[in-house]
Amino acid sequence: MLRHFTLIFAVAFLLLIGGMAVLAPLLPLHDPVQMDVMSRLGKPSLTYLLGNDEYGRDIFSRIIYGAQASLAVSLSAAVLAAIGGVALGLLGGYFQGWIENITMRPLDVILSFPPMLLALLAVTLLGPGTGTLTVILAILFIPAYARVTYGEVLSVRNLEYVEAARALGHRSGRILLRTVLPNVAGPILVQFSLVVASCIVLESGLSFLGLGVVPPDSSWGLMIRGARPYMHMEPLGLLWPCLALVFTVFSINRLCDFLRDMFDPKASVAAFTLPGMLAGQRLSRTAHAMSRKAEPDSLLQIRDLTTEISTPRGPIRAIDGVTLQVRRGEAVALVGESGSGKSMTGLSVMKLLPRRIGRIASGEIWYSRGEGENARAIDLAPVPASHFRAYRGRDMGMVFQEPMACLNPVYTIGYQLVEAITVHNNVSKAKAEEMALAELKRVGIPDPERRLREYPHQLSGGMRQRVAIAIALCGQPNLLIADEPTTALDVTVQAQILELLEDIRRTSNIGLIFITHNLGVVAEIADRVVVMYCGQVVEEGSVEEIFYSPRHPYTRGLLASVPKPEDLNSGEKRLASIPGTVPSPLALPPGCRFAPRCSYSTEACSVAVPELEVVTESQAARCIRWKEI
Amino acid sequence: MKDPIVEIDNLQKHYGGSKGFFGRVRKPVKAVDGVSFTIHPGEVVGLVGESGSGKSTVGRTLLRLHEPTAGKIRFDGEDITHATPQRMRALRRDMQIIFQDPYSSLNPRTRVIDIVGEALDLLGPLPKAERSERVVQLLEQVGLTGDHLRRFPHEFSGGQRQRLCIARALAVRPRFVVADEPVAALDVSIQAQIMNLLVDLQREIGIAMLFISHDLGLVEFIADRVMVMYLGRVVEMAPARELYANPRHPYTRALLSTAPTVDPRAARARKRELLQGEPPSPANPPSGCTFRTRCPFAVDACAVERPAYRQVGAGHFHACIRDDVAGGQVVPQVA
Repeated sequence: MLRHFTLIFAVAFLLLIGGMAVLAPLLPLHDPVQMDVMSRLGKPSLTYLLGNDEYGRDIFSRIIYGAQASLAVSLSAAVLAAIGGVALGLLGGYFQGWIENITMRPLDVILSFPPMLLALLAVTLLGPGTGTLTVILAILFIPAYARVTYGEVLSVRNLEYVEAARALGHRSGRILLRTVLPNVAGPILVQFSLVVASCIVLESGLSFLGLGVVPPDSSWGLMIRGARPYMHMEPLGLLWPCLALVFTVFSINRLCDFLRDMFDPKASVAAFTLPGMLAGQRLSRTAHAMSRKAEPDSLLQIRDLTTEISTPRGPIRAIDGVTLQVRRGEAVALVGESGSGKSMTGLSVMKLLPRRIGRIASGEIWYSRGEGENARAIDLAPVPASHFRAYRGRDMGMVFQEPMACLNPVYTIGYQLVEAITVHNNVSKAKAEEMALAELKRVGIPDPERRLREYPHQLSGGMRQRVAIAIALCGQPNLLIADEPTTALDVTVQAQILELLEDIRRTSNIGLIFITHNLGVVAEIADRVVVMYCGQVVEEGSVEEIFYSPRHPYTRGLLASVPKPEDLNSGEKRLASIPGTVPSPLALPPGCRFAPRCSYSTEACSVAVPELEVVTESQAARCIRWKEI
Repeated sequence: MKDPIVEIDNLQKHYGGSKGFFGRVRKPVKAVDGVSFTIHPGEVVGLVGESGSGKSTVGRTLLRLHEPTAGKIRFDGEDITHATPQRMRALRRDMQIIFQDPYSSLNPRTRVIDIVGEALDLLGPLPKAERSERVVQLLEQVGLTGDHLRRFPHEFSGGQRQRLCIARALAVRPRFVVADEPVAALDVSIQAQIMNLLVDLQREIGIAMLFISHDLGLVEFIADRVMVMYLGRVVEMAPARELYANPRHPYTRALLSTAPTVDPRAARARKRELLQGEPPSPANPPSGCTFRTRCPFAVDACAVERPAYRQVGAGHFHACIRDDVAGGQVVPQVA
């Protein structure tokens, strides 16, 4: 609320003072230079609203006319500086090379002097006056704009739309003005309001020193200068111009904060009140036994899991009633396109949802611990993320697409591995180092002794992913969740990592959830496949069932979209494709979510969300027409 | 055969590299290290390689979006290696590029009508009504509609954005297009849509295309001829069918044997030629054959000099000194 209040105040104040300054000649104000000797240093009265100054002039009207001078000088200086600075920044940033040198280097000279000192020097040489002041201020603030523009242009010029404009054959001038400038305008606008505020302060400072606006014209700085000798007799005279100055600068800064927020697309997102389950539900759950006897062979059973994510346009269900099972030593592939909820499923299990933005809304995650008869299953869904450290690493590990996500660039590989090992095992440092070496050997890193002493950036992408896997494995987890672990890698390296994961799964008998969009990788590694679309499981089955007898039209479409040698032999050179695009999670179709893109859809498909129907013992499809298709 | 539309001779592009202040010499990164090829009108040439192989740099350098370090680029018979900016601007209408990322390749502050319209303007000013009519035509050609005219890029999905990029590239009626991983950023089901669109348009208009990708399946689908790049050099070049049926260079063979397939039984049954290690840094490539450090068939001679191209069939060249390697085994040479 306070935020809005200050903003409203700022806007209102600026409108008021700006409006009065512009309309000053039309307003029924006293003449700002007319002296009324009888009321020298007079108190505020009905005739003189804010009192009189040392010559008996009306303070109120001098404030207004002072605003006129201050604002006129600052705004025109800021505009002039903007034109000069933006032009230099655009040229320097876009062309680089010698143009960069002649545009940007001289500005460093200006920057290397304290602005007040430079202004003092210039005014002393050229003599005071509004015109000189404006020009001096403009020159002083050119570097501020040029630097901001230059920096923005550097990042924009390498974007592909600029390159596309060049490729089309547009002239450089046109690219600069029509393509680059609109995209760097936001920060420049913010810079503008900052410069205006600084100009007002500098102008007042110079006028106070007698180097700015020339008396008898009014200026806030001059007013402060005039009132200073009499501050013991009439402190109010000093207060008014100071207040005007403070409120103006505050208002402008507040406004520019607001502008910056406007141009920053990172819109604020409403946070959920409680991370994890709703409070009531959690209490009732903790009262009941959270563990039960485990089903034989089962490692992880997810039942009806629903995860909500808060977005700027309202909460969405990133995953909606997902049920899946992983057995010991089994590789389950979660397949889907972007927005299918496959990664969210992994993050939900690991309790790594973005804090207060994502939460498990309902469902159960049964995880089995222990061997044979003694095995117990625990429901992890209600366990708050803060207590989840007991499970992470030791029971389940995770590997991400970008290995750097889990490697700290400032520590050596050895340090990070030893740290991870000592978290999970109560061992001495020497023993931990020994184990780290063994871990690196296990994930197939050549020359592990040397690698232990190296930093992540010294390793190639594939090596980093191996280290990330080693770290995930060092707590001896029973479940490994791999989220697109090979997507960032080259095909030849991808094959190596797949072999490694396969090898680890076989030797350690751990369950693997492999999240990917790449069907080729799935065919390579998975025992069972779960296909997701718009947050729901649309089909699941053994790898052979999914690839050789897919039942859901979406699975069929996905498989058909991959180019195969047969596509070439048929005379018609076409890939089968799924028409349309994935619907927005904020506007999901009623009924079957795939219906709008499905060539088999009927009216019945849009009535209700289809259930996951059993096809065979191991296969199920969420389609009401799977039998016919 | 018609004269080639694009001819590249010994193209090189080096980045960085300088003589340091204290006489320390920093070696340049040889992103493209002596690449030669031709593309004929209406032909689709695939360029395959892993990240860092220099395949994207080839595409951008031959369009002179990046300046070549050495070598010759001829477009339509004209040497454009040192063409003036004025001449290049005129030539750009004939050669276009489609980028990988449909998100960063569209100006976020320009409406659809101007994204495509500004490209049209380059052909000469059109009356307003005719201009927007032509924009709608182009949009419809790539599967969008006139309803989209007033929208901004962020209102479109990735696939639709890539369609927009294609419409923009086609607006100037090019005769040659570089497609730089045009579907790599898209979902599988959308990839197929865009691939079909590219094939259709290519057939309809008959433009020549350099299709750059890391996905062997996509290249096989679209290309007439395929080049395989490794560490800045082309290691094998052949007509598409020939390359996939009869790969000769050990690197091509490894790529093909590790390429993902959607046939689980075949995927598990096949013998994979797993390569050791990862590509070395292009700043410090191995001597001789750059692939020798990972090659299962490398011999001492591989380190001596850069292997010359050998022709092993019609239009099939490879740069490996061992032609006794076939089917993954070393076969004794017949005298």
